[in-house]
Amino acid sequence: MSEIKEPRLKRPKMSETVDNFIDNIINMKKNLHAVLGDEFHSSIPLLQVYTGHVRDLKQLSKIIVILNEKIQLKEMQHLKRARKKDVLLCPTDYVSHDVKSEDSVQKYLEEHIPELKDAFEFFKITEVPLLAPKLKRQHEEFSKIWSCNFHPNKYLEKLCGNEFFAEDELTSHRLYMGMTFEIARFYLSQMNSSLEMTDIILRDTNATVIVDPSTKSVVAVAFDNRQYHPVQHSAMLAIDNVAKTQNGGAWDTATDVKDVSLRGIEIELLVHLKEKFPNVKFGARTYLTKNALNESKMSVSGSPYLCTGYYVYLMREPCVMCSMGLVHARANRVFYCLKNNRKGALGSKTKLQCVSSLNHHFEVFTDFL
Amino acid sequence: MVDFMKRALELASEALSAQEVPVGCVFTINSEIIAESRNSVNATHNPTRHAEINCIDTVIAHCKNNHIDYKMYFKNVTVYVTVEPCIMCAAALSNLCVKEVIYGCANDRFGGKTVLDISKFYEYNYNLTGNLMANEAMALLKQFYKGTNPNAPEPKTKKEKV
Repeated sequence: MSEIKEPRLKRPKMSETVDNFIDNIINMKKNLHAVLGDEFHSSIPLLQVYTGHVRDLKQLSKIIVILNEKIQLKEMQHLKRARKKDVLLCPTDYVSHDVKSEDSVQKYLEEHIPELKDAFEFFKITEVPLLAPKLKRQHEEFSKIWSCNFHPNKYLEKLCGNEFFAEDELTSHRLYMGMTFEIARFYLSQMNSSLEMTDIILRDTNATVIVDPSTKSVVAVAFDNRQYHPVQHSAMLAIDNVAKTQNGGAWDTATDVKDVSLRGIEIELLVHLKEKFPNVKFGARTYLTKNALNESKMSVSGSPYLCTGYYVYLMREPCVMCSMGLVHARANRVFYCLKNNRKGALGSKTKLQCVSSLNHHFEVFTDFL
Repeated sequence: MVDFMKRALELASEALSAQEVPVGCVFTINSEIIAESRNSVNATHNPTRHAEINCIDTVIAHCKNNHIDYKMYFKNVTVYVTVEPCIMCAAALSNLCVKEVIYGCANDRFGGKTVLDISKFYEYNYNLTGNLMANEAMALLKQFYKGTNPNAPEPKTKKEKV
């Protein structure tokens, strides 16, 4: 009997020391993966349609012209009208007969498009892909069912692959993720001197690091305060800390730091992080008011605005409240390490990043472990 | 009920005069106002400072100062808000197990029911009723969106093709 290998568990080993765990996060070479909408993963949703088998192939182009005019397939632009001798007529629910059958579609044609009443040898009820293929892989799969139009998108292909981030990018994402755990350690070890990884992981808590990738600098960080204030999850605190670097802020959490650009990080923590991460830069770009921008004739990109362009690193997948807060803040990318099966809104319970009617969408990455 | 919503609408108008998105909110317990606020996103440069979040802060501070268990306290809270709470606020109110939320007009851009129904993934759900003085609430929003957001960057205009 051959030995069965256990699949590698995608969760941290509880016996790991905090140091080991953080080192691993930072030094692992494994690339990250985007958390994408279901349309990239699930089986193909199908739509039931009528097709007609054309009698005379020479008439095919003429038939298609007539059909395109008489039965427009507005929601189904991705489907080609013909596949060999079969022509896509319409979704079955277009034909309002009690019994969905080949006869009812013939009657439908006689009533609505009499010029095509003798064009087909027979009809079939068949299923076609409801959505357009987005990836090459999907296109190949979909084409086995029905011919689809396909516009390959290089960015999407890369996003779905295993090598999205270049080595130097991956190194920096992993470093900032390591920092979120270091922040948790900093605060939790004040309460528990022999802190173990389980104390961090099993606790309902979070830590957030917000980075400006244009300057490769940490703008704001925060550790959870939800025990004392139910809205002060680390992401909400971090958003407020970003506001503090822009002459704003609502919560009285930071000490009076003279340098506005450093107001996003509590001073004691800043000292600790500088020591732990000597090569990391801290501080926001200078905030300029709209008037100041106009006076110096600078463009709007001359000053930070909310979390526009920023990357957000969270120890744990954020809840619905925090995820929507990050949408309001217009974060550019969100990274998380641990899944939040009970409350997570960026993969576990829902995928807020995929709600198309929202006015802002960020990319979400995970798989640090 | 109407009186509380009228007060919330007053707060929303106040927000409008301060060039904020006009949303006002009142928290009540046993028909008594315990917190009231409006949007303060532009003043704080914090996009999460919605009227509801500001009210939550007031209640938390009150509970802290008076040694009240906020978890018990929120269970009796009824929320009157001029616009349907957004996904973020709806989640926050659900986490706190408030008793009831009564809103004016629906929020078809961010609504925690209309855009994404958060009740689907929460064990606890408060009673949610809409359409109380919805026209008044909507009129304020329309007035705001006619003007411009003073903090937002100028929209990037597309370069004209030569």
